[in-house]
Amino acid sequence: MASAELRLIRRRIKSVQSTMKITRAMELIATSRIAKARVRVKMSKPYIEKMTDVIRNIGASSGSLSHPLLDVREVETAGVVVVTSDRGLAGGYNSNVLRIAERAIADHKAAGREVRLYNVGDKAIGYFGYRKVMSAHDWTGVTDTPAYGDARTITNRLLEDYESGVVDSVEVYTTRYVSALTQDAVLWPVLPVQPPDIDVESLGEGGTSYEYEPDAETILGRLLPRYVEGTVFGILLEASASEHAARRRAMKAATENAEELVRLLSREANQARQAEITTEISEIVGGAEAMAGG
Amino acid sequence: MAGHPLFTIDIVTPESIIWSGEAEFVSAMTTEGEIGVYAAHEPTMAALSTGAVEIHTEEGMLSVGIHGGFLQIFQNSVTLLTDRAEMTEGGRVEALRLAEGMRDDSPEDASETGE
Repeated sequence: MASAELRLIRRRIKSVQSTMKITRAMELIATSRIAKARVRVKMSKPYIEKMTDVIRNIGASSGSLSHPLLDVREVETAGVVVVTSDRGLAGGYNSNVLRIAERAIADHKAAGREVRLYNVGDKAIGYFGYRKVMSAHDWTGVTDTPAYGDARTITNRLLEDYESGVVDSVEVYTTRYVSALTQDAVLWPVLPVQPPDIDVESLGEGGTSYEYEPDAETILGRLLPRYVEGTVFGILLEASASEHAARRRAMKAATENAEELVRLLSREANQARQAEITTEISEIVGGAEAMAGG
Repeated sequence: MAGHPLFTIDIVTPESIIWSGEAEFVSAMTTEGEIGVYAAHEPTMAALSTGAVEIHTEEGMLSVGIHGGFLQIFQNSVTLLTDRAEMTEGGRVEALRLAEGMRDDSPEDASETGE
């Protein structure tokens, strides 16, 4: 009887150990991906910073900025972009974003605004698809390692809908990479473009007047769509870094749980083995005494 | 070319800073025509067309194929923002070839290059 119990426990230990091998491997993979993803986030920063500078300088030298992409319109239809991962096993990563996005959609509807949903990542598609929330467009295969072309494809679609008046604003629900331990689900407004503050330091630099080739308006008109692209790219890169960080943490926790479980099970197995031996000895001793007595 | 005063130039793409350093002279194609930049150029903002950029440094010349973008000259420093750029040592011809390649693989900007 005891040996059956022992066999059962040993089988469980083996199964937990093989699960642990998988979670540990996933943890290691995620760890190496975070490093790469963080480098990409860092490398992408100068572009958007310089672009912000340029827009600020145009604003400072021409007094004000005006462009359809900068105009704040009355919002009748809000564009909501939800950035999730394609794969699970990343702890609360997806559910955090989906929760704030769903709440925002409910808020928009309560305020009498239409919502046009854009899904990035299989998890968002599955979540809203299951809840019968129709999406205007879905993208997959983007968030694991985002390429600039992905950002461009998404942005083109958003700009098209914004310029044609299908949506009056675009907000992205995504995850911001704060540190290896902290990733925050946030709302990131994308359209209309929020112009950088133009009056603070840039005017102090002399309020330079630029030579424009061809002219300020044309340049701004070409610059702003690129700026949105760059912003979206930055969002995707941060989401990707967050995804890998969240997955690493989830897999680390799973591995630790498995280790703890193996420890507990081994103790149980030892007890069972001990009980088995004790029973055997007492049986032998009992038998011997019975024979000596006889 | 030697002996010209230097100015700093950064070529920045969304993926990384492709090149950063000091140059004596830079030439690029704007949507309006060619622009040549020496040190102490007046503040300028230009929209670039897809094509070649040449950077003349103290050591020699570098060519970069770029996919559109913007050129800002401000306080003796040049910032070149472009969504794609590739450096080459093959000179202007090779840079132009690279730039043409970028144009080909993104059909959606065919209208932009038609300007």
